Amino acid sequence: MDKNIITELSKIVGNEYVSTKADILLTYSVTASMASDPVIPGAIVRPANSEQVSKIIQLAAKYNVSVTPRSGGSSLQEEAIPEPDGLVVELMRLVDIKLYKELRSVTVGAGVTYGAIEKFLKEHDLFIPVYPESSLMCTVAGQVAVNGAGPGSSHFGCTGELVLGVEVVLPDGTIITTGSEANPYASGPYQRYSFGPDITGLFIGSLGSFGIITKVSMKVFKRNKFYDYNTYGFETHEQSEQFMVDIKQHDINGVFTSLYEGPVLELFMDMIGEELGVPKHNWPFSTVSMTIGSVREDLMKSDAALAKKLCEKHGGHVIGISQLPKQEWNGRFWFFVRACYVHGWHWRTLYHHQTPTNAHQSIEEIRRVMDKYGFLGHTAGFVTGHSSFNAYPHLYFDPQDPEDEQKIRDAHKELAKTLFKTGAVPFKMAEYWSDAIEGMDNYMALLELVKKTIDSQKIMSPRKLGGF
Amino acid sequence: MEELMENLAQCRRCGICRDAVYEDKGFDGICPVWKNTAGFETSFMRGRIQIAIALIEGRLEKTEENAESLFSCTLCGNCTSICAAEFDPAQCLESVRHVLKEIPNEVRDTIAKKILENNNPYVEENKTRRDWVKEVGFDIPCTGEVLYFTGCTAGFKLPETVIATAKVLKAAGVDFAVLEDEPCCGSVMLRTGMVEEAKKNAENALEMIATSSAKTIVVTCAGCLKTLREDYIERFGFDLPEVLHVVEFLKPLIDSGKLKLKKSDEIKKITWHDPCHLGRALGVYEEPRDVLKAIPGVELVEMETNREAAMCCGSGGGLRSYDGDLAKKIAADRMQDAEEIGVDILATACPFCEHNLKDGASSMGSTIRVVDILDFLADSLE
Amino acid sequence: MQKLTAIVGEEFISTRKDVLLTYSTSASTSYDPVTPGAVVKPADTQQVSEILKIANEHKIPVTPRAGGSSLQGEVIPKNDGLVIDLLRLTGIEIYQDLRSITVGAGINFGKLDKFLNQYDLWLPVYPGSSLSATIAGNVAVNGSGFGSPKYGCIGELVLGLEVVLPNGEIVQTGSEANPNAPGPFLRYAFGPDLTGLFIGSLGVFGIITKVSLKIFKRMHHFDYNTYGFETPQEAEKFILQCKENEISATWISIYEGRILDFFLEMVGEEYGVPQHDWPPITVSMVIGRVREDQLVSDSKAVKEICEQAGGHVIGIVELPREEWNDRMREFVRSSYIHGWHWRILYHHQTISQWHRTLEEIWPIFDEFGVLGHTAGFQSGHSSYNYYPQIYYDPQDEEDEGKAKAAHKELVKRLFKTGAVPFKLAPYWVDGITEMEPYLEFLRGLKEALDPNNIMNPGTIPGIEGVE
Repeated sequence: MDKNIITELSKIVGNEYVSTKADILLTYSVTASMASDPVIPGAIVRPANSEQVSKIIQLAAKYNVSVTPRSGGSSLQEEAIPEPDGLVVELMRLVDIKLYKELRSVTVGAGVTYGAIEKFLKEHDLFIPVYPESSLMCTVAGQVAVNGAGPGSSHFGCTGELVLGVEVVLPDGTIITTGSEANPYASGPYQRYSFGPDITGLFIGSLGSFGIITKVSMKVFKRNKFYDYNTYGFETHEQSEQFMVDIKQHDINGVFTSLYEGPVLELFMDMIGEELGVPKHNWPFSTVSMTIGSVREDLMKSDAALAKKLCEKHGGHVIGISQLPKQEWNGRFWFFVRACYVHGWHWRTLYHHQTPTNAHQSIEEIRRVMDKYGFLGHTAGFVTGHSSFNAYPHLYFDPQDPEDEQKIRDAHKELAKTLFKTGAVPFKMAEYWSDAIEGMDNYMALLELVKKTIDSQKIMSPRKLGGF
Repeated sequence: MEELMENLAQCRRCGICRDAVYEDKGFDGICPVWKNTAGFETSFMRGRIQIAIALIEGRLEKTEENAESLFSCTLCGNCTSICAAEFDPAQCLESVRHVLKEIPNEVRDTIAKKILENNNPYVEENKTRRDWVKEVGFDIPCTGEVLYFTGCTAGFKLPETVIATAKVLKAAGVDFAVLEDEPCCGSVMLRTGMVEEAKKNAENALEMIATSSAKTIVVTCAGCLKTLREDYIERFGFDLPEVLHVVEFLKPLIDSGKLKLKKSDEIKKITWHDPCHLGRALGVYEEPRDVLKAIPGVELVEMETNREAAMCCGSGGGLRSYDGDLAKKIAADRMQDAEEIGVDILATACPFCEHNLKDGASSMGSTIRVVDILDFLADSLE
Repeated sequence: MQKLTAIVGEEFISTRKDVLLTYSTSASTSYDPVTPGAVVKPADTQQVSEILKIANEHKIPVTPRAGGSSLQGEVIPKNDGLVIDLLRLTGIEIYQDLRSITVGAGINFGKLDKFLNQYDLWLPVYPGSSLSATIAGNVAVNGSGFGSPKYGCIGELVLGLEVVLPNGEIVQTGSEANPNAPGPFLRYAFGPDLTGLFIGSLGVFGIITKVSLKIFKRMHHFDYNTYGFETPQEAEKFILQCKENEISATWISIYEGRILDFFLEMVGEEYGVPQHDWPPITVSMVIGRVREDQLVSDSKAVKEICEQAGGHVIGIVELPREEWNDRMREFVRSSYIHGWHWRILYHHQTISQWHRTLEEIWPIFDEFGVLGHTAGFQSGHSSYNYYPQIYYDPQDEEDEGKAKAAHKELVKRLFKTGAVPFKLAPYWVDGITEMEPYLEFLRGLKEALDPNNIMNPGTIPGIEGVE
């Protein structure tokens, strides 16, 4: 990278927080994204606050240098892989937290992880009720930039639904705040829909392509105190899927409602069942594992009783093993990370959403691709709000076998296409979706137009958002 | 090498080893180096592993500068505690240091040289490490059933702790010996990848230890404990008598009342800092706490992070020599943890920790007394 | 005109003087009428698209209009411009398994409610203008109403939109962007939330031709009650605690004593609310649940919460019950019963700042010598929707002038209390200087999406380029 740029960067953040060392650049050429090609950036910078981020972006615009924002570095779809010789702006130093108790909201800097904010809010008997599985390493801002889901989503929806506003540095360095705090006199974040068109939404799932989110304001809730954990068994896809729909329809507070096919659950339990203390069981064709959470005991009990009735109504039986959902929920900071890494393979994932009654289509598609390419993998999923089901297929490969890795890359590409045809949708428009989608010309044209408008120089996270 | 590479491939680069706050399991931050430096990726385990793989595979040139991140780590193992994958990152990094020994590192080489030549990393005249015996007030033989192995850092830098330990052992009715010419256990060589040299030193050390005819070895230093118990016996397969930390050795003597402690009207608030080589490495968490609680007048208060999730003092893994300023900064950070709970005394069982934490305390103006548990025990003798 | 006629057919286009006159105004009282050049009534999205292409080509200003019930001048046309009346877009498609529905831009809340009732379902947010306003229109302004305390504003229920851009391109947002999707089931699909751009956009970015929304099982178990407090702070605390403790309130309204008296003088008898010596602050609340045992739990809990906050249960159920049962008409009725016309100034406060709006409004009424009142309702996670009304005699120009002046000043003062509007009506932009970068950002989007500035020009003047 041009020495002048480095000098100017040092002026902004201080020598200590800029680097062009070969070893450091190498460590920023990758993230948690597996089966992904590393790309060596030109420099790394670690600003302390939004003003510094603004100056950095202006500098990048001046020299036409690409910018890749990065915080936790735990993303799985290559969101934070830099451009060759580009600038990585790492945001982990933005760690301010401001709680607005009476507004039931909190504002966090881009470097605050879910683990950190959970600890902070717990002291006030509050929580942000949607946890990505990567909560111990992922930041709230990063999660908003990709828009994800996890435990909690079954009741509260995706991460995006909890956002009250963002502070974002635009590609020209302007800092704007969306939501109620667009009014500088507002006492804090309390209403997302303020001052017309919902700009906040533009940045949710934007993958860094529209600017750098430096702060996020989120709704907070009083912590649930009463829980019911149970598993429900069914003999057909239809039964379990209808059960999931009915749970929502009857206003049962399933905070985490996940669905496992028999063989997948067996595999899963083989890997970590003992570790988690889940008793051995001859799992049925389809299992729904559900955690019900509530602030009041009688509401929880009522929900639990009704869940059992609905299960039977749909032809299922109450399995009664509570350890699985209990671990899913209580171990929400750890359970899935552990399950993902205990077996030794690396993997590509392909998050997507189906309608609950189409959940089995994803399973069928994935199985088909697994057979075709001859690899191991699995998929499970969970309810993510009003009417959607988040499936997360894992396609396994041996990290030390490039042929194996290539198989997965090919399979992944094909799977995106075939899943699209089943009507599935992704939260975020990761690059590989742009090949998979068809019949969305006008949509993509609008997205591209918005991108061009906001980032005319195309310096922000190039090609991350649908290839733009 | 194959096994090492397979292990390193277990890293999925998730980043949990950086600053995870997992309150339910007691973790409040993971990597002390990341926390106390400019915080680039290379400053915590995820980045270190990427560098290791790249250096081994030849994608990064094997220069001293490129290998810095391999050595700016205390190998504290907190990352291993939190890692969700099936491998031991800290252990792997130690192996990587060995496998990439060819990369120049003056600090590492100098220490190894000194140890091999002088049996300690500090001074030329090794025998001066026994000088403290003159001040203890009673004779100490060179042979006996119980060998008290002081270790280099205690012997040379913290003689008051060694004296205190000797007094306590005596008060407990233990007849013990101290070698005329005590070797270095070689811990720091092992941690910095100088495995061949360390083995050579170990053979020599075993000969010197054998002159005591001891059946039990008791150590002051957690580093010596881990090295003798784990590396010598398990790793190198050497024959060694039972090795115990002095705290482990004394516990039954306190429990049975053989060691008499005086009553105290004054309540002192004390916290226990888990040394990485006693705690995470060997699983010894409760014995020292039990010993402290048995001392009259002690109110034991835990720091935010303790036991498996305890933050490192900053001096291990060769960091104290490699980057003393960083080590002290980390120590000051750990002292801040103690300040936050309002204690008078921080006790631990590793001269490396004590030495570094004392420096850290003075650098941030902390008035908390940093003591070895044996110092405190000695004060409490009847 | 020829081209437009070729698209919709002669029957559905007009330049008649009388017709144009009726489109020169809307429910926005004290806004000057403006005569458009033509009115066209397309049948479907395809026709809308072709119409916009022509408008864009000839740079004709376009005003989309559905119910015509908006209050901030949103559908007052441009001089000689084109009004596109969307009331013929009346398609309804329900997706029961997806718990969603798609409605054309011409469907109003009353029609939809009747349709969904057949299935024992509902769209649980009802603006005051439910019998006249369309869903699409309400989304374009982003409104709220009965049901919002639990479900938030209408924007929060949207799963996707079909919009026609100024250049005529038809875009579908949300999960239906995937043509293979079985229906609307997820708003956040395919990246940045484009749906949001059009929520509250007042027609300046394009025309909404379909809205997909979440629907829910209809509630049949309700608890109605009134709660009295001595101070605003106690009432505010009560409401916060109800939210925190998941009391499923579909309607929460706070009334200052004198406002409640005024209100009940107007409609009390009609709604059968008994006479009462109302306390300084009254909270009127409707709790709704799909299950009876849930309701029993809420009813018990809310009383405890009320007492803990220092209040007492008044026990008069008629006020909330009649408000709720007549929710599609109650607001309209109480707004028109007294005879005055009025200027309105919707805005949001935080729950704990509820009293601040009152502190600003009463002095203004005095200063400008106007009558008015304000009431409001809790609107979602943490906000309170106010709708102050400034009255004037429609046949007295001077009176109207006073009301306009009071309105202008009120917006400035409310802004300084930290209040925010759902939508960016022109008077918010006029009074405000502290939001330049934000408006600049919107300006960029407006210029990109509508380079010829044909879409509802002047509705959000702050974001249009300097001419």
